[in-house]
Amino acid sequence: MAAADYFSLPIFFIVFRETTEASIIVSVLLSFLSQVLTTDHAIKRRLQRQVWAGALIGLLISLAIGAAFIVVWNKYGSNLWASNESIWEGSFSLLAVVMITIMGVAMLRTTQIQEKWKGKLAKAFDDEAERGLGNNSRRYALFILPFITVLREGLEAIVFIGGVTFSAEIKSIPAAVVAGVFCGFLVGYIMYRGGNMLQLHRFFVVSTCFLLIIAAGLVAKGIAAFEANYWDKLIDAQSDDLGYYDPNVNVWALNCCNPNDNTSGGWQLMNAILGWSNVADIGTIVGYILYWLFIIAWLVFMKLRRRHRANADAAAKSLETPEELSYDEKEKEVTEHHHQDQSEDIEPAQLQ
Amino acid sequence: MLPSFKTFAAALTLLSAAAQAAVVTYNWNITYVNANPDGLYERRVIGVNGVFPPPPIEVTVNDTLVINAINQLDVPTSLHAHGLFQVGNNQMDGPSMVTQCPFPPGANFTYTIPTVNQTGTYWIHGHNLGQYVDGLRAPLIIHAINETYTYDEEYTVAFADWYHQEHAPLLAFYLSIYNPSGAEPIPQSGLINQMTNATFAFVPGKTYRLRVINMSALSIFHFHIDGHEFDIIEVDGIDVQKANVTTFPIAAAQRYSVLVTAKNSTSNNYLIHGDMDPMMYDVVPPNLVLNITGTIVYAPDAPLAPIEYSDWAAFEDATLVPVLAQPTSPYTTQNVLTAAFYLMTDYTNKAVFNDITYVMPKVPSLYTALSMGNLSSNPQVYGPNAHALIASHNEWFEIVINNDDTGNHPFHLHGHVFQIVGRSEGLYDGSTPYPYYDASTNPNYANPMRRDTMLVPAGTNAAIRFQANNPGVWFFHCHIEWHLEAGLAITLIEAPEVMPSVLTVDPQHYEQCAVQGIPYQGNAAGNAGLNLTGANFGPSILPGKFTAKGIVALVFTIIAALLGLVTVVWYAHDDDLALAQASLAEAAEKNKAAAESEELSSL
Repeated sequence: MAAADYFSLPIFFIVFRETTEASIIVSVLLSFLSQVLTTDHAIKRRLQRQVWAGALIGLLISLAIGAAFIVVWNKYGSNLWASNESIWEGSFSLLAVVMITIMGVAMLRTTQIQEKWKGKLAKAFDDEAERGLGNNSRRYALFILPFITVLREGLEAIVFIGGVTFSAEIKSIPAAVVAGVFCGFLVGYIMYRGGNMLQLHRFFVVSTCFLLIIAAGLVAKGIAAFEANYWDKLIDAQSDDLGYYDPNVNVWALNCCNPNDNTSGGWQLMNAILGWSNVADIGTIVGYILYWLFIIAWLVFMKLRRRHRANADAAAKSLETPEELSYDEKEKEVTEHHHQDQSEDIEPAQLQ
Repeated sequence: MLPSFKTFAAALTLLSAAAQAAVVTYNWNITYVNANPDGLYERRVIGVNGVFPPPPIEVTVNDTLVINAINQLDVPTSLHAHGLFQVGNNQMDGPSMVTQCPFPPGANFTYTIPTVNQTGTYWIHGHNLGQYVDGLRAPLIIHAINETYTYDEEYTVAFADWYHQEHAPLLAFYLSIYNPSGAEPIPQSGLINQMTNATFAFVPGKTYRLRVINMSALSIFHFHIDGHEFDIIEVDGIDVQKANVTTFPIAAAQRYSVLVTAKNSTSNNYLIHGDMDPMMYDVVPPNLVLNITGTIVYAPDAPLAPIEYSDWAAFEDATLVPVLAQPTSPYTTQNVLTAAFYLMTDYTNKAVFNDITYVMPKVPSLYTALSMGNLSSNPQVYGPNAHALIASHNEWFEIVINNDDTGNHPFHLHGHVFQIVGRSEGLYDGSTPYPYYDASTNPNYANPMRRDTMLVPAGTNAAIRFQANNPGVWFFHCHIEWHLEAGLAITLIEAPEVMPSVLTVDPQHYEQCAVQGIPYQGNAAGNAGLNLTGANFGPSILPGKFTAKGIVALVFTIIAALLGLVTVVWYAHDDDLALAQASLAEAAEKNKAAAESEELSSL
């Protein structure tokens, strides 16, 4: 299908996801600066410029590395590893599964991420206020933080892309990357402007669902790649002998619905998103189901643990001893202190 | 009254001809021998009388060829004189489980073969499993009393591919689940006259007939001679009008005779080339020497003339013109057979004609035909996978062969030569009239070329026609041995109603079946009537659809995914609630602040 050839949906999702997290962090930084530095515009602008500089330079470097990686990969990689292509494909797929899963689940906890980042920044800012701007690393903390974050997110995206679309055509990559970056940027912008957190949260939940579906599909594809490598070696398959499978473990083998068939774009799409294949065996089916069981177990465990902790906290709080305040509470105290310190400079009469 | 001089002369000729027709007897002890024909690897081969290669068989037309074959192998065997019509003699044709049971180790089987009405270049080979690939093959020459063409001497140039492994393990792998692509075993070398370094002595000015045979399991050889042109004068035993060519391809089991005129000087020796066509191999191993050569020796120490590179020009054998004209007739029966290869329900790659793969019946098909009375005209009795086609006596029978495969196949019909009445691109489905040769597509369409083994290239079709005047069960199959074993065959049941009056089976042959526990009467299952319970049947083509276990697996994966997504939503629900509350509180505060500021401003 023409459209699918020029727009890789998995690449879009992954770039979107990575850009979103990066832009969340940048928007947190920027909105934090707006909230904190309401009076000192010169410093605020300088620090804001640092944040933007860090983010943009990080983005440029990661894009450059990504482009170089893709060029090298396509030019030399496919030949270099042609005989073991399936092993590379399988390994990359499974690595991408791990990273996508971790990030997908983490995405569900963005409210906590925001709070965490606010805390970190407050602490960093605190230190800076105490010790002054003499220390270089502290001076450029607001450059380094977004720079490293964006760079890290960018490199993660490249690894994901390598895993998800091992043999992606180059022409399908640019449009997807541009769209992903744009949409991720949009999300960060909306957050910065104080968007509806509830809607954003629901959006994150939906996108996590998509990511986990892609990851589950990748589990099946990764296992299929390893099994294909084993069987192709066993039957001494030539490069035009593809699509053969081990009948001893096969579960289904359809003549139709082949994602490798270029004429039916629908099955290619299903393969990219769901991991669908016209050939499935015990390994891929069991792997796919086990992945979901693992996700279910992990999420159930985490939620029950949170509830348990929340109950414990509530119980502890009812005893009302200051030392046992939660980290979040402490954070609130710190920022309140700041407000109080600054408000001391303002005429008392203006306060309510 | 005195008989006229003409009648007297005719009678005299007949008498002399009868006197000349001899019984030529060969005693063939079929044994294992150790040999190293390509000089690269010594291995066990099948030889005759302790000798490898088996020596050629030569007779003169009208002779009766008698081969006393003794099986001194450890497996059953049989012999087929390739190209011989065996008129009224179908029981001596040789393919195992078609016209006979293979005769067991220690047994002897006497082939008594008439050679009337045919001359030329033939060969004889094993026809049980792939024994001919292990070396059980030799040229069989039928000399004419008066050859159509004159020449001084003749040589046999028999090409063959050669494997270092015995055919049994090669066949086992070829037909296993570990070969789903159906890749044929690739030979290790090519041979001329089952040896390397064959030489042919030429005397300047003489004319030589070279009988070129291809005894391969798989390979096509492109034949050319450095420095010499030649005329094709015979094809599969049919004399043809001279056709001057520089090169031609010869596929497995085909034969050509060419006339070459020796050069007038002895200053050089020249190479005879047989270039194996790499297209026949799944992959070409780097150490396989494709271009094999023999030497035409004018003088023992003469230098070799430089090698000329042949461009393997296209060659259309249907344009050759038989010397003895035989016009065609419209067909009475036409069968369209489409050859293809598929992965079967037993996960092996097998060959089919019209989706049926050939599997040997439990009773040799000829014995079924002879013992079933009126039912012998019912194709069912020959078994579900014998793919029996019935021909009435003397009808004109046509087969259109579609090659729906990516490989080239040489198809061979036992007991006949057939006319090539048309060839075209693509596959013929019978919905439109067949594009037979006419004046514009083939000038000798009124005297079509005839032969017994024809190459049908990939993705093309050919129409062959013959008169069913030879009662018997005749095998029709691809002569690539691996493909025959994979089931690319049908059995032609020709004039079954006439067979009992024309054919007689030596009771010893039935005994040899009994000794091996093979039934020799009844239908393909050894039963009477149409009860085919217990008949051998073959796998069918993999349907490529969902099976029960596939559907169950798919349902479980969908359930797992849905449960997972539900869990994600459930997990995020608390945050959802908290955020909803927070946004409500925020909205409430905003309203409160707005109300307060309104109050203030209204103060």
